[in-house]
Amino acid sequence: MNREFTEALKKEFGNNILDEVTSRNETYLTVKKEANVKICDHIYHHLDISLVSIFATDERKKDGFFKVHYVFSLDKGDAFVIIKINIDEKTPRYNSITHKIAAANWYEREIQDMFGLIPQGHPDPRRLIHFEDMPAGVYPLRKDFNIRTKPQRVKGEYVYRRVEGEGVYEIPVGPVHAGVIEPGHFRFSVAGEPIINLEIRHFYTHKGVEKLFENISLDKAVFLAERVSGDNSVAHAVAFCQAVEKIAGIDIPPRAKYTRTILLELERVYNHVGDIAGIATDVAFGMGAAHANRLKEEILQLNEKVTGSRLLRGMNAIGGVRRDIGDKKDGILLELSEIQRDFRELMEYLMSIPSLMDRIETTGRIYNDTAKGLHVVGPVARASGIDRDTRRDHPYAAYPEFNFKVQLQKGGDVYARTVVRADEVCESIGIIEQALWSFPDGEIKAMVGEIPDGYAFGYTEAPRGETLYWVNTSNNKIERCKVRDPSFCNWLAIEYAVLDNIVPDFPIINKSLSLSYSGNDM
Amino acid sequence: MLEILKKTLKAGSQTTKYPQIPDEAPEGFRGKPQLFPDRCTYCGECAAVCPPNVIWLTEERGEKTLTLSYCGCIFCGRCEEVCQSGAVKLTQEYELASKTKEDLLTSIRRKL
Repeated sequence: MNREFTEALKKEFGNNILDEVTSRNETYLTVKKEANVKICDHIYHHLDISLVSIFATDERKKDGFFKVHYVFSLDKGDAFVIIKINIDEKTPRYNSITHKIAAANWYEREIQDMFGLIPQGHPDPRRLIHFEDMPAGVYPLRKDFNIRTKPQRVKGEYVYRRVEGEGVYEIPVGPVHAGVIEPGHFRFSVAGEPIINLEIRHFYTHKGVEKLFENISLDKAVFLAERVSGDNSVAHAVAFCQAVEKIAGIDIPPRAKYTRTILLELERVYNHVGDIAGIATDVAFGMGAAHANRLKEEILQLNEKVTGSRLLRGMNAIGGVRRDIGDKKDGILLELSEIQRDFRELMEYLMSIPSLMDRIETTGRIYNDTAKGLHVVGPVARASGIDRDTRRDHPYAAYPEFNFKVQLQKGGDVYARTVVRADEVCESIGIIEQALWSFPDGEIKAMVGEIPDGYAFGYTEAPRGETLYWVNTSNNKIERCKVRDPSFCNWLAIEYAVLDNIVPDFPIINKSLSLSYSGNDM
Repeated sequence: MLEILKKTLKAGSQTTKYPQIPDEAPEGFRGKPQLFPDRCTYCGECAAVCPPNVIWLTEERGEKTLTLSYCGCIFCGRCEEVCQSGAVKLTQEYELASKTKEDLLTSIRRKL
């Protein structure tokens, strides 16, 4: 699939392609800097392949250039095509592709802030990650930026988009919210109750995770990956480990693959049940929420019994898993069957409550073309009719061995997202059962020696959607680690989901998208 | 109405009497790590692998000290995993609240 595809590209853009490197299912094509828009546009619109990430690397030490990578995912053939351009330090500019591919928006602004590479012609060239108080010319992800640097604060102002007109009011919400959640600013423009515009501003908790990765050893980095997004720990850790294992060519034992699959699915189950509890809370249906939370707690306690950690942490390592869960097999099966029965009953009950259904049906609609244009991922995408699931499209761990269905809905509203989650809970429990019934014997961790220099992608389908790691190793250390959390793709969708909805429905819409601040801000 | 009552009765009471009645963590729980001074060889392996760097090995006037801070501990158990002599063990203890950071330090020392 990959070969066919690159041949076609070469035929079309032959003299613009400077170099081609293929390793496993990844093909890297270095192209002329000026041709980036033309080629990306062709791949995206003509060949209908989605753009899953854009990231930059600082390779000035190696060959004097910054590189920008455009990552395209061929879902039909389990392959990735990466278009690379070289950018000289003296002219740190390249053509923006955002006017052709909307999904590129935040990535290009992120690169502008972190590397100082300017996407020319970007429709919204404001800062994204840096705040106004960051002085100009500070680019943290450049290799010559010391991690201990404390930039001086300067004065500046962020300009919000303004909607003006008679009777139009602005409602600023956040960054400090009620309850124990993370910070984010939402600026609504309303005419009466209906929302006519929403602008979100994030990155209040930017922690410089990608810079931190560059300064620690590989075995410690697993634990950092685990903490990028608190409730998607396993997905992040597994994605990171898989990237490193791919570089080193480590084939992890079947028992470790099965264990990882079970953990990933347990994570999905508790997240989805928690989200459903949140939706019940936000429509003020306390009794439903209490029962959903009770179920979530049961799963968290099961996690604790199985792994010693309620959030399933500390289980993954490069080469496999750190603890054997074989002896807890029967306990998990027994408990899950009870949870599933209880959960089905609860969902039936929730869906029969008119006051709940009234609030969630047709609320917060994300249309299929919007979701596609923004490259929305995970259950949110599947609720808008986008048939994507990393577990099926880019199989990893033990997924190829199990039967499961990718749950789809067409509505794109809060109801559709709730249904997708509820169906996925049952599907996940099904996967765990299949894994435990045929749980293989043997080792849980492969021998890991020196990690060779190289680069590769690791990917998982986290409860929130496709999670992508690109790891570049050199001398047993991380040269660059790019993390693409699903929330980074999905946050912008909320600006569209709330349009024409009333302000009181915002919390439910927000909850139904289940977005992570931590994973986004990094 | 009847439905709600049925469901509530079936679910029963879910809360426990904690903290009046201690809530014991299950076996294999990743809790507070404990140091065993008599087994420790002060090799510093645990300090080297600790992801958040909360274990330090220091040497002063011929006395080696191993200090562990529960403050930034992520309970990953890497120290336990690499220790050849079994001088670090994760326990089932999880009540770590304290008023000062100093209370969260634990250290063992030995004269050379």
